[in-house]
This record gives sequence, structure tokens and C-alpha cells, in this order.
Amino acid sequence: MMRGRVLYQMVRADFLERVRRYSFLLTMAFSLYLGYAVYSGQLVLRLDEYRGVDNSAWLGSVIGLVGSVWLTLIGFYIVKNSIQRDRQTRVGQILAGTPISKGFYTFSKTLSNFAVLAVMVGVLALASVAIQLFHRPSQPINLYALLSPVLIFGLSALVVTAALAILFESLPVLRGGVGNILYVFFWIFLLASGANNIAKGDSNGGLRPFADYTGIDSVMSQMQSQVHKLDPQYNNGASFSIGSLHPTSKTFLWTGLTWTPALVLSRAMLFAVAVALSLLAALFFDRFDPARAGWFKQKQPRIILKAEVRNIALAPSPGSPAAETIADLSRMHSPAPHLTPLLRADLRTASRSSVRLRFIPLVRAEFLLSMRGHAWWWYTVAAGLFIACLASPLDAARSGVIVGAWLWPALIWSQMGTREEQYSTGTLIFSAPRAVPRQLLATYTAGVLVAAITGGGLGLHLLFVRNFEGLAAWAAGAIFIPALALALGVITGSRKFFEALYTAWWYVGPLHHIRNLDFMGTTAASSTSGAFAAAAVLLVLSAYGWRKTKLANA
Amino acid sequence: MNLAIEEVSKRYRGGVLALSRFSLGLKPGVLGLLGPNGAGKTTLMSILATITKATDGRVLWNGIDIARDPDVLRSVLGYLPQDFGVYPNLNAVEFLEYLAAVKGLDAAASRRRIQELLELVNLTDVRKRPLGGFSGGMKQRVGIAQALLNDPQLLIVDEPTAGLDPEERVRFRNLLSDLSGERIVILSTHIVSDVEATATDIAIIEKGTLVAHATPESLLLQVEGRVWECVVSSAELNKAKQEFLISSTTRRSDGVHVRILGDLPPEGARAVAPNLEDAYLYCISHHRAGVRHEACIGTGA
Repeated sequence: MMRGRVLYQMVRADFLERVRRYSFLLTMAFSLYLGYAVYSGQLVLRLDEYRGVDNSAWLGSVIGLVGSVWLTLIGFYIVKNSIQRDRQTRVGQILAGTPISKGFYTFSKTLSNFAVLAVMVGVLALASVAIQLFHRPSQPINLYALLSPVLIFGLSALVVTAALAILFESLPVLRGGVGNILYVFFWIFLLASGANNIAKGDSNGGLRPFADYTGIDSVMSQMQSQVHKLDPQYNNGASFSIGSLHPTSKTFLWTGLTWTPALVLSRAMLFAVAVALSLLAALFFDRFDPARAGWFKQKQPRIILKAEVRNIALAPSPGSPAAETIADLSRMHSPAPHLTPLLRADLRTASRSSVRLRFIPLVRAEFLLSMRGHAWWWYTVAAGLFIACLASPLDAARSGVIVGAWLWPALIWSQMGTREEQYSTGTLIFSAPRAVPRQLLATYTAGVLVAAITGGGLGLHLLFVRNFEGLAAWAAGAIFIPALALALGVITGSRKFFEALYTAWWYVGPLHHIRNLDFMGTTAASSTSGAFAAAAVLLVLSAYGWRKTKLANA
Repeated sequence: MNLAIEEVSKRYRGGVLALSRFSLGLKPGVLGLLGPNGAGKTTLMSILATITKATDGRVLWNGIDIARDPDVLRSVLGYLPQDFGVYPNLNAVEFLEYLAAVKGLDAAASRRRIQELLELVNLTDVRKRPLGGFSGGMKQRVGIAQALLNDPQLLIVDEPTAGLDPEERVRFRNLLSDLSGERIVILSTHIVSDVEATATDIAIIEKGTLVAHATPESLLLQVEGRVWECVVSSAELNKAKQEFLISSTTRRSDGVHVRILGDLPPEGARAVAPNLEDAYLYCISHHRAGVRHEACIGTGA
């Protein structure tokens, strides 16, 4: 009884803390947008030429899949800050001093993550009702057929997402940007495994909680069966995509999912998986022990401070460290050491040209700041990719190696525009003269430098062979990526949104050479350098405008 | 060199009024800004540091409105916020070099200045150590150093001695006194002893309004003859707390020595010399009671 109350209070407090933030409204808006995307045809479920008749069963299934597919990606980044918040607010240290076990804590955090994601599913469910009422008023509404896929697929998939977020936060190596990027690959892998079964049309209807954790395979396989009955020539083609180049020409009557025992059990098993993941997280959770929190970082040498020496000095002998500290104490009451005055005129009436000159040291400082904190092997890999870009055949370098070379510094770019908030240095920086434009532009320039250096092998290669079209595409990529990072960082205040979006975009666009999405210009056919260069300018201006407005309204 | 705060108000989202028509004029020297938690000190500091904008009123630096032209003040401003962070992977020198670049300082001059500042705040030995491994007090000293980077004419320090050990606190107080010659220093704190040691002027703020602005001497003078000390038993202490305004209690072998503030002496009490803590409490209590006392009128120093 007592444990139940403690669990309730922990989940409640964490939940309330989140939903009372402005960012929660944005997540709700995102849920509504997903509903709108279905309504407006931006998210399309199709089986070759077929789509379902707009009844409750079809709408419920589509929105159910939207929830389980997209919210498992976006939702992860929305809730992956639960333990971090306790660490930052230092509430964690208070909790660590209570009898709460690690397993209990990670389980409660999983539940509060789930509560937040469940609200998003709830908003999506309401959106589905609204769409049915206002967009398809001719169709009779069947609440069971409409809501059961949304709630069952959405909730069972998102409970795993909630637990995975806690597991990632508990593992030091996955806590930061590496985890944010790896999760995108993990999500793509899970979707791809389900998609393979859809393409083969060989879903066996058995227990498959892992292979089909979004539920897309289960839904599609039942839909495929119905279309087969209608059209024996149908070849199992199916897609669930953003937009559609060719409108569907045929419709079929989708009567709704058959909730087989295997399907229900598979979904129920995901709750057990979530509990197991949350308990697994407890094994790695450091219980806010600062000594364990940074175990993977470089060990720092301990320096005995003079203040500590003072405390242990009882009978100092002349010339001993303790005697030195006593001399220190006496210095403490002596006048302060001399400070060389700076020229006032130099400070107050710095001309525009001198300010421009001093922009370069600021860029240098921003660049050094961004490059700090990496292990030696990070630089080794970056150097290897640089050489590979230079030494590989041009086609391989442009379409392959550069894609890796510009994924490698993603964690450097993701800090752009967020560092001041992450480390609470904003008040120190923004009280400096002309800080907003100077510092922002310096940060951006440092980001472009990172791109130019890490992808420099390809840039030089293209220059040597006088491939100016390729060079223009490379340059557009080099200015676009940091611009995207800066804008997202400044606007969201968090690095994880760039890390997630960039990785997903990197996968869809440059890796698959999709035109209009290939910001690296990996092939001549997929390159749209002018558009990305223009987008870079707009993004930098947006970042500037956002920061200026935010500081003006502080 | 002067700083004029004219009828400044600040209302946050949600309607909380943090400052209400606050006015104050400052000239070179150390102003100790005293007030209870939530009085509006940090809001005032943020406005003066051009971080936050006032809802009403204006702040003039040498006659120029800092809301319209903040860079005029920023180029001569040193600001140590109450809460600030550092970049954990940089060492103290690198972090100060970074902030010197942000402030637009010349590289050569700032390098020399950084060495001197690190010596000043007693961090020379650990200057190459990543800031992530610094204790709270050491980070605070880095904060003090960065505030002095540009040799500021206006130095604003918000709770600067928080986290410092007693030795470093004394060191910092001495530093503030030494720095105060040709600049305006605003020291916001709730530690009265810090103000007692350094301030040439004192402003007392409560609920966003100015309660008093005077020299320490005039504040003490106004409360002269209103501070009493008597000895009571532990059992009588609670009763005394209910009857009188008590500024401090000290347990000794003969009982509890109680300092009482009041116009008339309690029975058996003797008059003692007032200290700044007595004056501060006297002003605050009279302000809360709605009594406009001579000692606490904003007469200006």
C-alpha cells in the first residue's frame, strides 16, 4: 500500500513537472499535427493502387499506425530527459538519500514517461474522432473500430519507448548524443524488419512482439488478405509513407482488425518487455552518484588545494608546504595583486573595424570550444575519413565516404546554439557588447569550419578535378548542416532534436541519394545546392531572430 | 560616472510584481544591496546587467538609457550572476579566454589580465585543470575572475560569496574594497557581514520597493539607543520572542543573551552598540509594520 502511494506520488510529480512546461504544449501540438497529416493526405497508407474506404476502421488503423510508428521515434526524444532533469535540478540527490531502490526509481520514471506518451496517444485518439466527425460525416462512426487500433497499438508500442528512454538515460554511453543517434538506427532497423515481412506477405500471425513492435506488420498483413480476396492479382505491395507521388485509384472496404489471441498477447507482452527494460536500466543507473556518473570520462588528476593543506597543517616547519599556506593566509589580508588596467578608450569606443578583427579570436574560441572533450580516437577516425575522401575514387568519395565524414561530427554540431542553455553560461555571454550577433555568427562560422575540415578531403578532391558542380553541392552541404544545427539548437534549446532529425534525414536523403532531400549533394542527379544554400541563410536568420526575440523578452 | 535607476518596475508573466517603481542613484563606491529572499534583488541585478528588461521606468548609464543602447553599458560591465555555469571541458584559462573574446577584448591584453586575475582569485595552481572537476567555490572564483576581465566601471556581483570558504570570503571582501575606487560596485547579498565589511552605501529592498538608502554610519546612527541586551533563561526565550523584535541570541553559561530592538528598553536590559544587522532588521520590521521611520527613509547617501 505504502509502496503504491510512493510510486503514485513519484509518477505524479514527474508528470506534473513535465506537463506544466510550455514544451508539453508543443508535443500536444505535434500529436494534433499527426492527425492533421492523415486528414490532409500527408501521411498515406496504401496497398499498391488500393486504399481503404474512409470508415472508422480504416481511419482508426491508419491513425493507430501513425501513433505507433511516428510517436515511437519522436516520443523517445520527448521523454528522454527524465533522469537528466532530476540530475540537473538536483532533486535526484534528494531522492538518492531516501530508501527508494534503483529498480523502483527506474520503474517509476518509465511510468511517468509512459504517462506523457499516453497523453499524446489520447490527443491522437481525439483527433481521429474529430476527423471522422468533420471530414467524413457521411460515414457512420464506430468508436470501437476507430479507437481500438489507436489505443492498443499506440500504448503498447509507446510503453516500450518509455522504458527504452530510461535504459538509454541509465547507460552512460547512451545518455548523450551517441544514444540519440543510435536510437534512430534502432528505430529504422525495427521498422525495416516489419517492412520486410509486409513485402513478402508472409506474416504468420504468431507471437512477434519484437519483430512487429509498431504493429505495422500485423495491420498490413490483415489488409493484404482482404485486398487479395478482392483482387487475386494484387502482389502484396504496401507502403506507409510521407506524401504520395501517385494517388490511389481503387478502394476496398476495410472492416477492421481481427484481434486474434496471438496479436493481443503480442501487444500485452510489450508491457512485460517494458517492465524488464526498466529493471535492466536499474542495473546501470548510477543513483546520482557523481563518482560513478563520469566513469567513462577521462580520469582527472587530483590536485591538493592550498585550502586543504591549510586544514591539515598543525605544526609547519620552515619552508614546508604548510608554512607556505600560512604565508598565504597572511597574504589574504594584504592588498590585492596588481591588475593591469585596460585602456578605457579601447573598451568603450571600439571601432567597427576592430570589432571585426576581434571576431576572428571569437571564432577561434568557439571552434576550440566545439572541438574540446573528444577522445583521441574521435580525431583519428575523422582524419581517416578525410584521407579516404581524398584518396578514394571521386564517385565513391562523393556518394559514400562523405556521408560518413559528415555524420561523424553530428555531436559537435548538435551543441551549437544549445551550449549556453545546457551549461548556464547565457548570463555571462549575453551581458557582453553586441553578443547576440557576434557570438551567434562566430558559433555558426565555427560549425562551418568543422564541416569544411571534416569533409575537406572531398572538397579538395573536387577542386583538384575541377568538378565545380560537385564543389558547389559540397559547399552548400557545409553551410547547410551547421545552419540547421544552429537553428534547431537555438529554437528548441536542446541538442537531441538536431541529432534525431539530422540522423533520420541523413538516412533518407544523402544515404539514399534522394533528390530534394540530399543536402550533401552526393550525386549530380540528387544535388540541389542552390536550395540548401538558400535554406542555410534562412536558418541562420531564423536562429538570430529567435535568440534576439527571446532575450528581448527575458 | 553615474547610474540612475528611475521608477523601474518589473512584472513577470503570471503577474508577479518583482520590482515596483524602484529608484536609486549611484556614484563610484560599493553599494550593498540587502534584502530578504524574494525581495527583488536578483531581478534588479538582471535589469542593470541588461539581461532583463524593465516593464516600466528606465536605467540611465551616464545619461544613456541602457534599454535603448545596452552596448554602452555592456562594454564597461562586469557581471557575476547568482547562478551561472562553466564549460566543463575547458580549463580556467581557456574559459576566460573564451569570455574575453566574447567581450571583444584584445587577445594580448586579455592574456596578461587572465594571468593576473587567476592569481587574484587564487586559482593559478589549477589553471590547467578542466573546470568540470572544480568545486563550487572554485567555480565561483572563476566567475569572479570573468566579471573583472574587462576592468569594468560597473561591477555587479550577485551573492558573490556563496560557496566560498571563510578565507576566500575575506579575500573577496578585501578585493571588492580595493576595486571600489573609481568604479561603481553593486554587491547584492543577504549576508550582512559581507556588506558591513565593504559597502560605502547600503540599499535595503523588500517586496520590490526601496526601504532604505543610506551610508552604513547613518543607518547605524538611526538605530543608536534602540538596541538592548538582556539575559533570559531558555524557558523565557519563547516568551521574549513573542514580545520583542530579537536580532540575535547567544547561549552562554549564565543564560541566553538576547539582543532586542525597540524604542524602549525591556526590563533588566542594557543598551548596546548597534551593528548593521540590527539596523537592517529594524528597517525591515518597520517597513513590514507600515511604520515610516526616520532611519528607513530613502534619504540617499
